[in-house]
Amino acid sequence: MNRVLSFFGAPVVFLVRTARAGAREGISWRESMVQLHELGGRSVWLVMSGMAFFGAVLVTIANSQARRFVGNVAVLGPAYFELLVRELGPVVSALLTASRAGAGHAAELSTMSVNEQVEALEMSAGDPYSDLVAPRIVAGVLGVPLLSTLGTVAATLAAVAVAGVVFGVDGRAFMDPRYVDGWDLLVAALKAGACGLYIPLAAAVAGLRARGGAEAVGAATTEGVVTASLGCLLIDFAVSLAFHLLRL
Amino acid sequence: MTSSPRTANPELNAIRSVGSLGLDAVRGTGALALVAARTVLGLPRLERRELTRALVQFGYDSLPLAMATAALAGVIVVLQSGLYIQRFGARAFLGWASGYGVLWEFGPLLLGLIMSARIGARNAAELATMQVGGQIEGLRGIGLDPFAILVAPRVVAMELSMLAMSTFTFLVAILFESVAALFTLDLPLRTFFGTFSHMLSPLDIAGGVVKTGVFGLAISLVSTAVGLSARGGAQAVGRAAASAVVQSCAAIFVLDFLLTLLLAGWMA
Repeated sequence: MNRVLSFFGAPVVFLVRTARAGAREGISWRESMVQLHELGGRSVWLVMSGMAFFGAVLVTIANSQARRFVGNVAVLGPAYFELLVRELGPVVSALLTASRAGAGHAAELSTMSVNEQVEALEMSAGDPYSDLVAPRIVAGVLGVPLLSTLGTVAATLAAVAVAGVVFGVDGRAFMDPRYVDGWDLLVAALKAGACGLYIPLAAAVAGLRARGGAEAVGAATTEGVVTASLGCLLIDFAVSLAFHLLRL
Repeated sequence: MTSSPRTANPELNAIRSVGSLGLDAVRGTGALALVAARTVLGLPRLERRELTRALVQFGYDSLPLAMATAALAGVIVVLQSGLYIQRFGARAFLGWASGYGVLWEFGPLLLGLIMSARIGARNAAELATMQVGGQIEGLRGIGLDPFAILVAPRVVAMELSMLAMSTFTFLVAILFESVAALFTLDLPLRTFFGTFSHMLSPLDIAGGVVKTGVFGLAISLVSTAVGLSARGGAQAVGRAAASAVVQSCAAIFVLDFLLTLLLAGWMA
């Protein structure tokens, strides 16, 4: 019970504190851009190559499903494309970003708090929330939707290529945007944005709490990655369920 | 860096970065092969107590997380396949389609990603702490093989835990799928399990288990290799944990693609 409360409560408390500190002290845009490069620029190859392989797998699965009951893989295509845009693109990109950027943030922040650099920052009248957490949150909210867009594009291109080369299906017929509408894009944007907000928060909660030596850094990194990944899955589930219940 | 005359030439720089990329790849493969070979050699002298501890830590302690992931994955798969199942009017096929999706793809993939975050990062962090603190040198100094004591138990425990957990997670995922289908699509449980058992063969389950097992091997080898090659101070520990997660994720995606192609081609 305690763990469940802190799983949901700690990020909310951090978010409120960060928002207040950010409003009071202002957020450094320069630092936000640095963090955006850290989160986005350095995750972009991981996300794009991971998603490209994922798109290729998706076509392979669709092909073996289609062979069992409709015969032609192109029939399943448009539905798969909607699925990719609406569900899998945002969530798998967010999971990959959570493992790359979440681990990086948690390792960095926990090293700082273990070495008492956070206390030093407070001593010199800085606020760790507005100086350390807020730029990372800004970077996450901007960066994860961008990354998931790039990831979805990479997955689509890989799927088209595999469908064309391996299965001999016209790639454009497979990845047919017939069913993709504004609602799908809205769902995708909501998921990516919420994950982008959550990943830095989870990493910051794990990182700033770390106390001890080098082992605490490893433990905090693990905790940051696990909570960030699990949180992304939960967000994905909650958004999907909400839109399902509203029949959108 | 900028003062060096050798970095002034941009073309040379490009060649140099390609070269260092290639060297990194060779070094990584070499480290991985070395860890794998030394682990196999260390297998007969495997430390039993460490193996039990790792089994409890990797398998039993990860069960709640794995179950939660499986339940979420099951519900998500039903929610998304509901979209296109309704569109084609093939509600009865849901049991088969979502079972197939979880067994072949989402079950192994999500389990692999979550476990690489939980176990891969912890393995790398622990071994890196020991390496940085000189404890591994110390083990060698008193004539003990760190691979038999530290690496082989982890690899074996990871493999056993992943194989055992894969069937558990598939079971939980499929149960949650059937319940989610009942609530969201009004699909009777009888219909769900009817098409599920009718159209899926044991080979489909074997495919998922094989995938999960390969992912487990990849995670344990990559994370221990990364942890053992950590050099530096406290920061190296955090960096090793992070890069173990990233490299395991990358390995999982590449292996996922290769295995899907291989197994789907071979079984169908």
